[in-house]
Amino acid sequence: MSKKEIISIESISKIYQLGDNVVKALDNVSLKIFENDFISIMGPSGSGKSTLMNIIGCLDVPSKGTYKLDNIEIDKMTDSDLAKIRNQKIGFVFQTFNLLPKLNAVQNVEVPLIYSSLSKSERISKAKNALNSVGLGNRLDHKPNELSGGQRQRVAIARALVNSPSIILADEPTGNLDSKSGLEILKFFDELHQAGNTIIVVTHEDSVAKRAKRKVEIFDGKISKDE
Amino acid sequence: MEKFLKMSNIFQNIAIGLRAIKSNPTRVFLTSLGLTIGIFTVSIITAGVSSIDKEFEKSMAYYGNDKLYVSTWPWSFNFDWWKYRNRPRIEEDNLQYITQYSEYIDDVSLRKTTWIRGSYGNTASWLQINGVYPSYQDMLSGTKIENGRFFSQNEWDLQRRVIIVGATVRDGFFDGQDPIGKTIRLGGVSFEVIGELKKQGMGMVPGGTLDNLVIMPSTTFKRILTRWGFDELVLKTKPEQMAIAKEEAEMIMRVARKLKPDEENNFAVNSADAYKEQFDSLKIAIAGVGFLVTGISLIVSAIGIMNVMFVSVKERTKEIGLRKAMGATSRNILVQFLSEAVTISIIGGLAGIILVKLLTLVLATFLPVSFDLLLIFYTFLVCVFIGITAGMIPARNAANLNPIDALRHE
Repeated sequence: MSKKEIISIESISKIYQLGDNVVKALDNVSLKIFENDFISIMGPSGSGKSTLMNIIGCLDVPSKGTYKLDNIEIDKMTDSDLAKIRNQKIGFVFQTFNLLPKLNAVQNVEVPLIYSSLSKSERISKAKNALNSVGLGNRLDHKPNELSGGQRQRVAIARALVNSPSIILADEPTGNLDSKSGLEILKFFDELHQAGNTIIVVTHEDSVAKRAKRKVEIFDGKISKDE
Repeated sequence: MEKFLKMSNIFQNIAIGLRAIKSNPTRVFLTSLGLTIGIFTVSIITAGVSSIDKEFEKSMAYYGNDKLYVSTWPWSFNFDWWKYRNRPRIEEDNLQYITQYSEYIDDVSLRKTTWIRGSYGNTASWLQINGVYPSYQDMLSGTKIENGRFFSQNEWDLQRRVIIVGATVRDGFFDGQDPIGKTIRLGGVSFEVIGELKKQGMGMVPGGTLDNLVIMPSTTFKRILTRWGFDELVLKTKPEQMAIAKEEAEMIMRVARKLKPDEENNFAVNSADAYKEQFDSLKIAIAGVGFLVTGISLIVSAIGIMNVMFVSVKERTKEIGLRKAMGATSRNILVQFLSEAVTISIIGGLAGIILVKLLTLVLATFLPVSFDLLLIFYTFLVCVFIGITAGMIPARNAANLNPIDALRHE
């Protein structure tokens, strides 16, 4: 049984022009990611993994090559189309959680839904469901500063899940957590994977990468290992 | 449906902008203060100018747009009163010249004026007395006989002691009862009230209220009221002939006065336009200063709003990045920050309007000012305009932020 192809990257390059210096952050990279993959992307800083992640997350477009997400060509889209894709197809989880401090858990989870034209009641019920699914059903009204680090990251994961995205893109999701909370979050990623989600984790920690079913390593703008 | 969803989307972004305001009330208050002051002054100026306009209309009605008044003094002059004080009095004989030679004057009357204490029973009051010809009946302006009648030629010939009274006499002397047929005393002599004038109200014209007035035959006036007063000639023409009739009256008066060509007029031909000039210069002075002050305060407050918006965008760079990553388009962000700016300015404007409303409530007890509802509408427009203008550059900066850089911002 061949799995559905979610991400198809064909020989993309990203070139930055810094004065007279031409920096090739990504050099002719190709990568395919299938449904229900659990991938880790590893690499030292400056290797180009952030650039790759930004392109996968539709925050940036490649200078060369093609990128298809769910069979939609991303590389030539306008900014507002990219925003729509990000809204519908990608759930971001950040190292620093990036919750809005003045909003409570439900309101934070609601943020992506605001940009997808749903009624208020629909938004609230979806946000509550997402928070229930990450085990925070009893913390709905709490502001981020009233939650522990692990709980904050779970709110962020609920926010990533709330629009039922095609991929979950996590950037160092355990980087700001103590080991116990980190483990908790990683277990949670396992559960999400078992539930059928496609997960991409960008990390430089081996312990995190080990959890993934497929490890991609990147060095000097090229994929050096993919197993 | 698509369109409706887009609309609700806009409201969502406005709501986000509003929440940002709620979280920083002090800053919003201080920022909007400039606009409050601006709206406040502009409203005061507008109210002032419009009451001047109303007063002007009232005095136009009082003096009439078809009447010339030949007097010793011009109605408006600039600190050169010494030129006029030795002029000869206006003489009734001059009227004959005017009726004889004029082409544009349709009707004439003498008008003698004095002020005197009038009394009825135990009540007494100062009244303005006019002694006029019977023809003056058709030359009343701003008022008319509402009750009773004017005096007749016969009564004028016989110097009868009959008077037509202004509207305040009814309430002042007769407790609101019909004054016709009653007798009041003026300077110790009793007069019978035969007519009553329609109420004219307050005016900026000399004497304040225009209704403290008594009209009688000039013959009676001359016989009985010999104390101080002054005479004028009232000439009636047609509104479209005012200018030429004025010139003509001046010529005839010069002939009547036997003035040599190099001699200046020793009389003045007045008309309501004299007041127009005064009113206009007053209006221009008030409006000029007012709009300058307002303009400066509006510009300053727009800059203040812009500054606060720049700070707000800077503070929330990370939030902008996050929202963009979550699917906010540049347009969403633009609307969010623009609505924040517009709301700040509307808050300022509303505060200004409330201040104006309070002030007019206080002033209305002793001045003829009114609160214009249109003002709210205009203020709203001005505030939206200022908010959008001041918010545009910061909001565009926010909208154009690159989400990757914005997310990395600390």
